[in-house]
Amino acid sequence: MASHRHNRPLSEVELRVKALESLLTEKGLIDPAAVDEIIDTYEHKIGPRNGARVVARAWVDPRYKERLLSRGTEAIAELGFSGVQGEDMVVVENTEKVHNLVVCTLCSCYPWPTLGLPPVWYKSAPYRARAVSDPRGVLEEFGVDLPAATEVRVWDSNAELRYLVLPKRPAGTEGMSEDELAELVTRDSMIGVGQPRSPGA
Amino acid sequence: MNGIHDLGGMHGMGPIRPEADEPVFHEDWERRVFGVMIATFAGGQFNVDEFRHAIERMDPAHYLESSYYEHWLTALETLLAENGALTRAELEARRAKLAKEAA
Amino acid sequence: MPTLTRDMVPGLVATGGSCRVAAEVPAKFKAGERIVVRNVNPTRHTRLPRYVRGKRGVVEQDHGVFVYPDTSAHGEGHKPQHVYSVKFAARELWGAEAPAKDCLYLDLWDDYLERA
Repeated sequence: MASHRHNRPLSEVELRVKALESLLTEKGLIDPAAVDEIIDTYEHKIGPRNGARVVARAWVDPRYKERLLSRGTEAIAELGFSGVQGEDMVVVENTEKVHNLVVCTLCSCYPWPTLGLPPVWYKSAPYRARAVSDPRGVLEEFGVDLPAATEVRVWDSNAELRYLVLPKRPAGTEGMSEDELAELVTRDSMIGVGQPRSPGA
Repeated sequence: MNGIHDLGGMHGMGPIRPEADEPVFHEDWERRVFGVMIATFAGGQFNVDEFRHAIERMDPAHYLESSYYEHWLTALETLLAENGALTRAELEARRAKLAKEAA
Repeated sequence: MPTLTRDMVPGLVATGGSCRVAAEVPAKFKAGERIVVRNVNPTRHTRLPRYVRGKRGVVEQDHGVFVYPDTSAHGEGHKPQHVYSVKFAARELWGAEAPAKDCLYLDLWDDYLERA
């Protein structure tokens, strides 16, 4: 485990963390090498590029899209993504008529295998409070323009199902490869607070 | 419980503030808290429901004023003391010792 | 349970730990059924947000059988039961000022629901 030399006194929270980790290590309740591996995995190996691949595959393959929308966990696992905080997945599709938005009002539940760890704003009080009661206001704040006739559906992840939005495939993307399409898929579009990029944007 | 965490529909929480190009962890201690939580969870020290409830039991003002991973840290200290894995006295003693060494 | 070691991490990450329970438990509700959310105010752990209590919705889908958090958080066992995706009209939750066509979905356990 890396040990850091500090040129300043440690903050209260840093002291609490060091105390906790050192005691747990001494008692044999955690293995620091395992802790390092966990950190590395979620900091560097798992992130929204996974979900982007799932979306791109659904955009090019209608049969895959059907499987994704009816049995999300299995379809996502076909691409090699599975596990912690993604054991029971539901994928919801944006269409001309429907826009989906995902939140966890009670804490921070989020589909880790496809999106990685959630951003601070998703876990904070303003989003958690307003996504359910004023989703259109939230979307406006994020700069998402919806046609007036669109139905907004909010999914509050209060149980162990984890939600992923399948955004609409942008116009002008005919003939693009799956890799090129995946590049257009933003993390925010898979939460529902953004749209995918347009080609050339 | 009808706690501060049950935020759906509340007003007055202010604007959503997304950070551009936000890093996965903002501080090294956040990384360590994340890793320790997963490791202790996998080691069977608590289940996910107990973990969430420990956060819900935080003082409401502390909950709103502290950062996300400080919620996790507080929950870990609570649960590991409650299940006897360590004691609050041990944690306090270790903090004091580390503070002295770092000063 | 043994302490997690480094070599165990990839398997843990890829497998996770689903809260589904492989138990034969009868479902109290089915898709299409109208429900009303119980008006309960437990002082302990629950995943039933205040904003939906006493509200009327429609069962969209039965997700299957899962651990019940209200007991699991307190060392009282899994009490496995069905969890449903339940649809609520925005106006039902937030009043007549809410957009007419918007809705919200929550995943609710059998114990949180009553027949409407």
